[in-house]
Amino acid sequence: MRVLDRNINAWQFGILIFILMFANKMLVLPSLLFEGAKMQGFFIVVFLFGLEMALLGLFFYLKKQYPTESFAQILQYKFKNVGKVIFYTLFLVFFLSKAVLLYNVTYIFFRNMIYKDTSNFLILFCFLPIINHLAISGLRVMGRTAQLFFPVMLLIVTFCIVVGFFGINSTVIWFDVPFIKILGTLLRHIAPFGDMLFIFIIMDKVVIKKGQWKIVFSLTGTAAVFVILINLIYMLSYTYTSFMHPYAIFEIMSFVREYGGLGRIDIISMIVIILFAYFHLAIYLKSFMLCFEQVFPKLNCIYSLVTFNFIFVIIVIFFIINLETTVVFGEQILPYVIVIPYLLLPIIAVTCLFKKRKKEGK
Amino acid sequence: MQVKKEIEQIKQKLHNSVDVADRVIEIGGTTVGLVYLKSMTDNAIFSGYIFEPLAKFEGELNFEELKKTIRPNDVTEIKEDEIVKNVLKGAVVIFLENSEQILSADILKFNMRPPSEPPTSPVIMGPREGFTEDYKTNITLIRRRFHDENLALESVLVGEETQTQVILAYLDGVVDKKLVKKIKKKLEDIKIDGIVDSYYLVTLLSSRPNSFLKQVGSAEKPDIIAAKMLEGRVALIVDGSPIVLTIPFVFLEDLQSSNDYYTNYLYSTLIRFVRIVAILLATLGPGTFIALQLFHYNVLPFKYLITIADSTQQVPFTPFIEILFILLLFQILYEVSLRLPSYLGLATSVVGALILGDTGVKAGLISPPAVIVVAIAKIALYTVPEQSSQITILQYVFLLIGASLGLLGLIGGMIYFLAYANSVENFDTPYLAPFSPFILSDNKDALFKVPLEEMTNLPKSFKNENKERFDESSGQEH
Repeated sequence: MRVLDRNINAWQFGILIFILMFANKMLVLPSLLFEGAKMQGFFIVVFLFGLEMALLGLFFYLKKQYPTESFAQILQYKFKNVGKVIFYTLFLVFFLSKAVLLYNVTYIFFRNMIYKDTSNFLILFCFLPIINHLAISGLRVMGRTAQLFFPVMLLIVTFCIVVGFFGINSTVIWFDVPFIKILGTLLRHIAPFGDMLFIFIIMDKVVIKKGQWKIVFSLTGTAAVFVILINLIYMLSYTYTSFMHPYAIFEIMSFVREYGGLGRIDIISMIVIILFAYFHLAIYLKSFMLCFEQVFPKLNCIYSLVTFNFIFVIIVIFFIINLETTVVFGEQILPYVIVIPYLLLPIIAVTCLFKKRKKEGK
Repeated sequence: MQVKKEIEQIKQKLHNSVDVADRVIEIGGTTVGLVYLKSMTDNAIFSGYIFEPLAKFEGELNFEELKKTIRPNDVTEIKEDEIVKNVLKGAVVIFLENSEQILSADILKFNMRPPSEPPTSPVIMGPREGFTEDYKTNITLIRRRFHDENLALESVLVGEETQTQVILAYLDGVVDKKLVKKIKKKLEDIKIDGIVDSYYLVTLLSSRPNSFLKQVGSAEKPDIIAAKMLEGRVALIVDGSPIVLTIPFVFLEDLQSSNDYYTNYLYSTLIRFVRIVAILLATLGPGTFIALQLFHYNVLPFKYLITIADSTQQVPFTPFIEILFILLLFQILYEVSLRLPSYLGLATSVVGALILGDTGVKAGLISPPAVIVVAIAKIALYTVPEQSSQITILQYVFLLIGASLGLLGLIGGMIYFLAYANSVENFDTPYLAPFSPFILSDNKDALFKVPLEEMTNLPKSFKNENKERFDESSGQEH
C-alpha cells in the first residue's frame, strides 16, 4: 500500500506551518523559560522563532534552486545514497522524539485539566486512530482538513490573546539574569523548536506559485507573533510566579474568568490545544512515514505506521508518564536531537550551494 | 410478412398479457394488423386518428398510403426487432400483409399527477411547481426555463429489464464536455436488471458507493435544477421519478435553499449561519452534553452543574443510556409519523412528544435537560433536511464517542470525519469545496451570500466553461 500524496498549495502549506509553530510552545514552555531565564525567557522565544523563520528562508532558497526535486533526491545527488539514508535515519529519530515530547506535554495538560486522573490509554486511544487516519489519507487531505479548522484556530487564539491582555498584572520587563544563564536556558529548552524540518521533507509536494511565498511567510509570521504574545502576556500576568503555572494559553485567561465574571472562558483554549495537538502529531507521523520510505524504500507505509505506533506506545506507556520525566526528557535528551534541523540543514544547504556554484563556475 | 402469424408471435413474446390488444382489418383486399397495449395508449387517438381513417380508406392500400392515412404526429418506420420495444413504450405497431415495412405510431398515454409543489421543498416566495414521475413533463418544465438553443438533452437507457430512460440535460457552452462524457460512459456501463427510481443511480454514480456521504445532488423543483445547470452542472432526469439528480455535487448545495435566492441577501447570510449552527447542534449536541456530564463536569459552571445534578439524581439509567433511549424514542416517533396516514401521524407525534416526554420526566425515567438537548438536536436536524440521514448517523456516532472518550474524542471525531469528507471527490469535485480547498470567489455564495450582481463568475469548485455570468455594467445608468 502506498499513500497517494498529492500536492498541497501555498495556503495549505502555510497553515501546516502555522500549526507547527504552536503546539507545546504555548503550554509548559513559557513556564520553563521563566524558571531558567526569568523575563528574558521571552527573548529566547523571539530568538528561536527567528531561527525557525531562517529555516523557512532556507527552504525557499532550496525550492528555488530545485523546484521539482525532493529533498531526498537532493541529498542523494550531493551525498550519495549512504548519505541520504544516514540523514533520513536521523530525521526519523527527530520526528519520533518530537512526537513523544508533544504527546506527553499535551497528555499531562489533559489529565490535569479536563480528564481528572484518566488513564493514559484513553488519551492514546483518542490520538492514535485520528493521527493515523490523517497520515494515511495523504498530505492533501491533511492540508485541506487543517484549512477547514484554521479559521477556528485563528479565532480562538486571537480571542485568548485579547482576553489575556485584560489579565496583565504589570508591564515591566526586568533584566536581571546573566547572559550565560539565558544561553543555558536556551540550549536546555530548544527541544520544542526546529519542527521546520518537516517542510524540507515534503518539499516536492508543495506547489508554490509566483509570489505566493508571501502567504507562507505571513502565516508563519502571524503564528510566531501569536506565540510570542502568549509568552509575553503570560509572563506579565504572573509576574513572579510564572514558573508555577505550566499551561500558558489556558492560564492567561484565569484572571479575566475570576475577576471579569465571564464564566469558564478558559475552556475555549482547550479546544485550540486539542486541535493543534491532533494536527501536530499527525504531521510528525506523516514526516516519520516519509522518512521511513527513504530509509527502507522496499517497505510500504504499513510498516512505517506499525513501527511508529509500536515505538511510540512503548515509550509513552513505559518511560514517560509524568511532567518531571517529560521535562527531563525534553531538557536532557532532546536538545541533542534538535542539532539535526539547526545544524544539519544549513550544512546541507551550504554544501548544495557550494557544489552548484562550483559546477556553474566550471 | 404474414400479419396474423406476426401478431401471434408478438403476443407470445409479451406472454399473452391481458393488456395486449390487436386488430386485423381488411382494406381493399390488403390485411392490416395493429398491435398495442391498452394500458399505455390513448384510446381516443387510436380510434379517431388511426383506426377510423384506416377503416374509411378506399382503394388499394400500400405502405406509402398507410403512412399518409394515419394521423398521429409521431409516426416512424421501424425494424422487425424493434416491434416489442415500441409496443412496450406505448406505440401502436402497424403491419401490412406481404410487406416487410412496419410503422410505429406513438400514442402513449397514462394518468399522471400534475406538477405541484413538492412536499420536500416548500417555499415562501418563488416558483411552486415540482417535477412529476413523467420524464417528458419534467423535460418540459426545464425547457420552459431555457428558451435557448444551448439546452442539450441526451438519452441513455439503463436497466436490462426496465429499460428506463435517463435524460442528461445540460447547457452547451457552460458545462465541461468531459464531464458529460464521463457521466454518459458511467451510465452506459451500468449493468443492472432495473432501476425504479433515480435514487438507484445515486449509489451507482458515486465514486465511493459504500460511503454514507451523499455524492450526487437531487432536487424536486425545476427552478433549482435550472439554477444548477446555469452553474455548469448536468441534470439527470429519470423516467418514473420526480427527483432529478445533479452532478457534480458539493456539500454546500444542501446548505443552500431556494428561499435564499428569493429573499434579501443579508437575511440569507444570517439564515445560512443559523443552518451551520443547527448542523453542529444536531451532530454534536447530545455527544457534547454527555461528554461534559461524564468527563468534564469540572469545567461546567457551578450553578449549571447543580441544575444537572438535581435533575438527574432520580434517573435510574446512566447518562449515556438515558440520552440513547430518548434519541431512539424520537427516531421511532419520526418513523411512525412518516408511515402512518397524515391525520394519524400528527396525533401520534403529539402523543409521543408531549405525553411520553412529560410522563417520562415525571416518572423519573428521563431528566428534563436530556429531553431538551435531544429535542434541540432533533429539531435542528431538519434545518438541512437533505442531509438529515447523514447527520442522524453522525449523531449516534458522536454520542458514542462523547460517552466513551469525552471532549478530546469528540474533536478527534470531527477531525476524522472532516478528513474523510475531504478525501471524497466525485467526478473530480472536492466534497467540501469551496470551504476546503478554500475558493474565495465561490465563497460569495457559501456561508455568506452577496447580492446577485456581485456573483459575476461561474463556480470554480468544479470544472465548467468558466464564463462570466453577469455583466457588471448591466442594469446601471450610464
